[in-house]
Amino acid sequence: MKNIFAIFKKELRRFFTDKRMLFMLIMPGIIIFALYSLIGNFIPEADPDYTYIVYVENDTAEFASFHTNEMYKTEIHSISEWDKESVLNAIKEGDVHLFISYEEDIINKIATYEPSSGDPAPRIEMYYNSSSMESSNIFTYYSGILNAYEATISNKFDINPGLTQYDMATQEDMTARVLTSMLPYMMMIFLFSGCMAVVTESIAGEKERGTIASLLITPIKRSELAIGKILALSVTSLVSAGSSFIGLLVSLPQLLKGMNFTLDIYTPGAYFALLAVLIVTVLIFTVLLSMVSAISKSVKEATSYGVPLMLIVVVLGLSTLMSTGSVKSIWLYLIPLYNSVQCLVGIFSLTFNPMHFVVTVISNLLFVVGGVFVLAKMFNNEKIMFSR
Amino acid sequence: MKEILKITDLRKTFNLSLKQRKLEGTNVKKKVAVDGLSFSAYEGEIYGLLGPNGAGKTTTLRVISTLIKADEGDVFVDGISVKENPDEVRKRIGFMTSEMKMEGFFTPNYLFDFFSELHNVPEQVKKSRKDMLFKKFGIDKFAEVKISDLSTGMKQKVSLAIALVNDPKILVFDEPTSGLDVITAKVVTDFLLSLKEEGRTIIISTHIFSLVEKVCDRVGIVIDGKMKVSDTIGNIMGGKSLEEAFFEIYKGSEGKEQ
Repeated sequence: MKNIFAIFKKELRRFFTDKRMLFMLIMPGIIIFALYSLIGNFIPEADPDYTYIVYVENDTAEFASFHTNEMYKTEIHSISEWDKESVLNAIKEGDVHLFISYEEDIINKIATYEPSSGDPAPRIEMYYNSSSMESSNIFTYYSGILNAYEATISNKFDINPGLTQYDMATQEDMTARVLTSMLPYMMMIFLFSGCMAVVTESIAGEKERGTIASLLITPIKRSELAIGKILALSVTSLVSAGSSFIGLLVSLPQLLKGMNFTLDIYTPGAYFALLAVLIVTVLIFTVLLSMVSAISKSVKEATSYGVPLMLIVVVLGLSTLMSTGSVKSIWLYLIPLYNSVQCLVGIFSLTFNPMHFVVTVISNLLFVVGGVFVLAKMFNNEKIMFSR
Repeated sequence: MKEILKITDLRKTFNLSLKQRKLEGTNVKKKVAVDGLSFSAYEGEIYGLLGPNGAGKTTTLRVISTLIKADEGDVFVDGISVKENPDEVRKRIGFMTSEMKMEGFFTPNYLFDFFSELHNVPEQVKKSRKDMLFKKFGIDKFAEVKISDLSTGMKQKVSLAIALVNDPKILVFDEPTSGLDVITAKVVTDFLLSLKEEGRTIIISTHIFSLVEKVCDRVGIVIDGKMKVSDTIGNIMGGKSLEEAFFEIYKGSEGKEQ
């Protein structure tokens, strides 16, 4: 027991008296708090006055109270205003959010229905579009309230029974949705991992091996050294990330077999924008990791210091998992990395905004220029380059 | 003789980290590494900085080579101030230290070309210089072998060759024979003498008395960051061995400190 306690104390002493270790232990919480608070402040809250367009067939007074609620402001239309086919098309287009079809005379049918009879239960059908956040929201609301009501009357009707397709999302919508939920996150991780390996090796590794001094006594300018390294490391990182990305794209059709997965929904312009966003993102990662590597004495130390940056990337990537579209505020596209993630979401969700793209590329390039300037200063700082 | 290197009242202080303060058993946050050091070196001479570990020799060489900046004083290489114009100084010096390693992945051939390019050496000049240096050091047989696969002695020879890519007027060598076997050490020593014959100025730091006696024209004895004596080797020895002369000076300085 005494020995266990001695080991226990030694391990705790190691973790809690080493500043670097302590930093690594506490940093994740601080980063997550700071990042989500920051993003939360920027992201506009859901518009309380947003009106959901709902078409109803065979509406009844008994269910009318469901249309009134505090969370979702609805605008109810009768199907008699339009034909069913047009409403379903409007759901696909995003102009209508939900179509509820009650079976004719449903209240009386519910009252007389005997679940033990074996006859089909009265039907309520709800058509929606899962690729639209608004349509999904209002569908979830009505499903919830009707299910709750059904439970109080001993399951005397069915919601969306049978094999009818109630989700009006097109194949294109579904592909975009799946890719939007997966790819921005994975790509950010791939890019960062690729950069992490090569940047730490090149800068902290050179410091650790003592080869950087040979470069620093040549007549080249520190800015030339910084730019040369960043460009070479970016290309290398991009190759590494590109390899992961192509591997992912090639394997996706296998992974999503049931979806008739196709990448044809994206235009050449989208692929160009994707490449441009990837390049500026890699440049940002390279600059940030170069700075981290410059202040580190070894590759191991640089890798440790890179972990908080990795957490930021993971948190930013995770924020896209439930996303169906990019944020609208142009100011958010001035924040490096966050803007990259949002641009990727825009590209994959087919909600690409050229203005957001331009702001992202320019702001990231400006950040890179500033980073190169700082890195050149760091290369010129003997305390940083030759610290022991 | 033309003065190639002039160091005036050089002073360099380092901040000590908590870890370093613990190691050195002191509460003082700053350490004076070089304390008002001055000396000159002339064309075609080898000047040796002799002193114990921690005396400030390496720090002085690092200031000369522009790797670190002095707090006070200045270094002039061929009349150019290190403080005012470090880029021009870098064009004129060659520097070799055990701290400066070469990337193990590359070959001597590639590294020589790479550093020649950084020094803007014209293609033809580079080629003839490389041929001459590689032949002289016997590197030509290993020109395409990765540095990591070379012996310690061969690595040192490659370092020497690379220090000469820009045909520098002044060469700064920190412990040039440290860690070398006797044969390689002799090659390096002979090479230093041949460089001197070519009219170059060479500054070496070492604590190997035999090396100083063999190659140096003048010696500066540095203790605790201060230049205790700077004179010709004959005057310093005064009929004694260099080792005896050094310890007399060292003991004398201890007495003065007390």
